[in-house]
Amino acid sequence: MKKQVTLLKEFTKGLWEINPTFKQILGTCPTLAVTVSVINGIAMALATTFVLVFSSLIISLVRKLIPNQVRIAAYIVIIASFVTIVDLVMKAQFQDLSKALGPFIPLIVVNCIILGRAEAFASKNGPLRSVLDALGNGVGFFIALVIMGGIREVLGSRTFLGYQVLPNGFEPWLIMILPAGAFIVFGLLMGFSNMYVERKKNLEREALIAQYRRVGREEITDDVLKEAGV
Amino acid sequence: MELLIIFISAALVNNFVLSYFLGICPFIGVSNKTSSAISMGMATTFVLVLTAIVSWLLYNLILVPYHLDFLQIPSFILVIAALVQFVEMVIKKVSQPLYRALGIFLPLITTNCAILGLALLAAMREYDFLESVIFGVGAGAGFTLALVIMAGIREELDLADVPKPFQGAPITLIVAGILALAFMGFAGMI
Amino acid sequence: MKQVAHIIATLTLIGVIAGGSLSLVNNWAAPKIALNQKAETECAIYLVHLDGKRYEEIKNAGFEVYKVFNEADSSVGYSLVYSGNGFQGKIKLMIGLTEDLNKTTSIEVLEQSETPGLGTKILEPPYKDQYNGLVTTPSIKLVKGVEPSNPYEVQSITGATISSRAVVTIVNEGIAKLRAVENKGASK
Repeated sequence: MKKQVTLLKEFTKGLWEINPTFKQILGTCPTLAVTVSVINGIAMALATTFVLVFSSLIISLVRKLIPNQVRIAAYIVIIASFVTIVDLVMKAQFQDLSKALGPFIPLIVVNCIILGRAEAFASKNGPLRSVLDALGNGVGFFIALVIMGGIREVLGSRTFLGYQVLPNGFEPWLIMILPAGAFIVFGLLMGFSNMYVERKKNLEREALIAQYRRVGREEITDDVLKEAGV
Repeated sequence: MELLIIFISAALVNNFVLSYFLGICPFIGVSNKTSSAISMGMATTFVLVLTAIVSWLLYNLILVPYHLDFLQIPSFILVIAALVQFVEMVIKKVSQPLYRALGIFLPLITTNCAILGLALLAAMREYDFLESVIFGVGAGAGFTLALVIMAGIREELDLADVPKPFQGAPITLIVAGILALAFMGFAGMI
Repeated sequence: MKQVAHIIATLTLIGVIAGGSLSLVNNWAAPKIALNQKAETECAIYLVHLDGKRYEEIKNAGFEVYKVFNEADSSVGYSLVYSGNGFQGKIKLMIGLTEDLNKTTSIEVLEQSETPGLGTKILEPPYKDQYNGLVTTPSIKLVKGVEPSNPYEVQSITGATISSRAVVTIVNEGIAKLRAVENKGASK
């Protein structure tokens, strides 16, 4: 059995460590498609988080009742039901947003984050942990979409959440609100996040080597370093 | 004429991958070799066309007449999952070589949003039967085209000196962005 | 056998619960959604006929068209919904027309998927306002680069000729269709 981690950790790991967008590269389609503006990204992330949390909760509650062979089918029905609820509520109450997001609300069903968390976590853990895990992943997705939407909206239409932040003299970068801009921004973000992680790892490694040298430990092999987790 | 427009629109102008962002996961995952890209494209096209047919029948003969259109999402996704499973079984029985070529890609297709996206878009645009099928063929052609072009580029890219943090998914996305720009040249054809 | 029964029972139960709860939500949402859609159309009908107070749908036209009446209940013209192909996808317009169909009152874009920043300029006043009181006979013409010199001319948007032309074509076609319907109605 794996080590029991604290409840807080269950939540925070989704924010960065296993951030669904940047680390697991799941749910790419909505990340690219709806981030023309921040508000669309926020709406999409909230809708996805809602579905994620509730389907994780239900799946973790009924996990022992569902025969193993048909679990995926059962999960999909549960997820699809929550997505339909979100879709109907958005159409009824937030018509403009629902129009802007178009088919991407129904497409939350096939967002791999949700089925991924259901299969990898909720089907093996209790309700409390599952909800925290889902919330963490949802917030991680939220952060990713706001960053993407922010960059694209500020550079592409000079605004942030509809408020103008760049002066009129700044010619908007049209490419940012075109599909091409989505791919490029996402690629660059992912690359830079990899770069940051690598640099941090290298620094930790060097610090450890220096520490070992100080205490006079001579042989610093890769195994020793691996054991120390760097 | 209308049919031709639908085909060109789905395949080139509004390419499923490069302008609707449908099916990005396989686009990044299976685009490192041309041969597997072609297989994946063919398998997806096949399922896309079948989905177009079945989902049209389901939507227009069952869901709409009985006012059950609020069950659209669950029923579509179940039909797609069943369809993929069925296709896998049939191919396994009928042709072993084809199964070896497409087999491993089929399970991946269920969660490919291009499939569900196609069913939803066709229902949303109120296409008739023939239009839906052509839409499916066009979407499949567009998906295959994007995938194969990408795989060709990535085979070359392997030899290029890409900075380490950008290797893999990041550089693929950036290249896809440039490809999307190129595909914008098709706009205005319809 | 027992296992199969278990599987079927579980799946049926999930299906029934899911279907039941969805129909509950749908019962709540469906009227609201219908109302929203109606409000949206209504809003657009009156946007192209600012003096409109009441409208009637003209049935059997083969497309959406409304006759609009003002406060004194006399007809002020038509609000016509018509769509066609734009640069990247469909453009759907609400076209306001005078009673004799010889002038547009104004247009509203209901749906479009044009290139952001270029084609989407069809939504903005410099282009859209050209349709306020535009003469539609013999037909609307698109001019490029020069100021419109005739009352039936519309100036194209720089960098978005296809979108500009698409709107002109849709308006012309819509009017032609409506004329045909009117003539058939008159000859009957």
